Amino acid sequence: MTGDALYEVRNLKRAYGTQTVLDAEHLVIPERSVVGFVGPNGSGKSTLLRILAFLDTPSGGSLWFGGRTFWNGGDGDAEGRGSEMSLENARSEVTLLLQEPYLLKRSVFENVAYGLRVRGGLSGEEMRERVFGGLRTVGLDPERFASRAWYQLSGGEAQRVALASRLVLRPRALLLDEPTASVDVQSAARIKEAALRARDEWGTTLVVVSHDILWLNEVADEVVHFYGGKIIGVGPENLVSGPWGEEAGGMVLRRLTDGQILRAVRPPGGVSTEAVAAVDPGSLLLALSLPEGISARNALRCSVAQMLYENGTGRVLVKVAAGGLSLTARLTAEAVRELGLHPGQEVLTIVKATAFRWL
Amino acid sequence: MDYIAEGVLQALSLLLTGDEETWDAIFTTMKLSSLSIAVSLALGIPLGFLLGYAEFPGKRICRAVVDTLLALPTVVVGLLVYAFVSRRGPLGELGLLFTLPGVAIGQVILALPVVVAMTATAVESLDRRLSLTLLTLGAGRSQLALASLLESRYGVLLAAASAYGRIISEVGVSMMIGGNIKWHTRTITTAITLETGKGEFAMGVALGLVLLLVAFLVNGSASLLRRRVRT
Repeated sequence: MTGDALYEVRNLKRAYGTQTVLDAEHLVIPERSVVGFVGPNGSGKSTLLRILAFLDTPSGGSLWFGGRTFWNGGDGDAEGRGSEMSLENARSEVTLLLQEPYLLKRSVFENVAYGLRVRGGLSGEEMRERVFGGLRTVGLDPERFASRAWYQLSGGEAQRVALASRLVLRPRALLLDEPTASVDVQSAARIKEAALRARDEWGTTLVVVSHDILWLNEVADEVVHFYGGKIIGVGPENLVSGPWGEEAGGMVLRRLTDGQILRAVRPPGGVSTEAVAAVDPGSLLLALSLPEGISARNALRCSVAQMLYENGTGRVLVKVAAGGLSLTARLTAEAVRELGLHPGQEVLTIVKATAFRWL
Repeated sequence: MDYIAEGVLQALSLLLTGDEETWDAIFTTMKLSSLSIAVSLALGIPLGFLLGYAEFPGKRICRAVVDTLLALPTVVVGLLVYAFVSRRGPLGELGLLFTLPGVAIGQVILALPVVVAMTATAVESLDRRLSLTLLTLGAGRSQLALASLLESRYGVLLAAASAYGRIISEVGVSMMIGGNIKWHTRTITTAITLETGKGEFAMGVALGLVLLLVAFLVNGSASLLRRRVRT
């Protein structure tokens, strides 16, 4: 399904004044792949998306796209920097769908046709075919919608028109910034469907920023996690935030709201109370009863909240919750079957105190 | 009180029977205001677009100057233009005093700040997402500027309507530069002033009715445009 790298990013930084909002060490996005970006607000995922769309300029680091170098190492100097011309060319291969769509004050038809007109080279009949095809892909009947004005659409319809105007360009990369965050359920379903169809039909690479982790785990080849401007991991990640308390014996502890305590090894420099730790889902064990002679420090009583199939690995992700904390464990299908797991079930979640990676 | 009612009746008959003197003032006004608004828009839209769209040093000062000029009193403009176009003035040789082009100069000075300021505001208040959207669809720099002007078209039309309203209703410049010469530079507003002074209400009312009609049309379309600007 996936091929060569479409994007490669190395030490890419974006700073506003003294504040660094993005510091992406390394990321490769293969051609024809579907990549999800997740993370809390302000974690740098949308900033990276804008740089990948060539709408924003990095403050440092390197970016390659389609085998071409766009920025290389320069810390704000002109050298190794993409020229305005090459940026314009790149923008004709990449398109970004904004979270809040903006439609031109023109008819739906003209909105969808705008990018095609900018590129030129289509006859009136071809243009009509493309635009109508685009509208159909997002589930809008062209006969009914093509001649409507921009203000005669619901929010979900506007977002679908905005997506159609990008799909008709048959882009090499389609970047979606929370495409379904502010639309109705039906529109969300059509938007997801249409985006995936672009990948299947024209080999478009999809990069999706979304809080819809369920959907991303289902369709994405890779899910990249962001925190504090950094890429903290690829695949599902558990983030455990503070407040942390110090404990004797080189440990720090985090009290859950139900009274249970989570212990982690104190890092050499100590931690601030608001520190955040990542735990790989593969390092979590689930058990129905406490195994004997276990060395792990944590055995939390949790209940299974959600189970979902993980695209790519063929494993099952089991989301468990206890006292305001939610953790995801990666299990094989056999393990799920043997334990007889189902949502609502009580399980013990076993985590070693050394499994915490401090961010 | 009878003379008012009588005046209205006479006014209607002047309009309906096609009284030459009355209609000449109306045609003169239309000719003059068309010339003035055409020049104001031709100069004002590009200037307003630049002021709203481009970033340059001194932009804020330019903006403040234009906003101040919105309040120019018509008689001051009349005085100023008179000083320039009278025989003794620097433009005296052009013979613009007591001609329609001379009046148009003054009216353009009145209307230009309206067109520039309102066009700049229309362009400035464009949604921040517009340029991002155009860029993501592959637009270049010139396409970006053109599409921005098109997006602000209702605001620009509103500017045109407001400027026309200022032009058609002003009397100071028309009187001082035009001189209210019958069959030549007599406009609706100067004729009303004169006729009222003479105690002749009929023609004043007739012309007043026409002016009101034009004002309603202009304001009506402006309020429609204002609604469209907001959607």
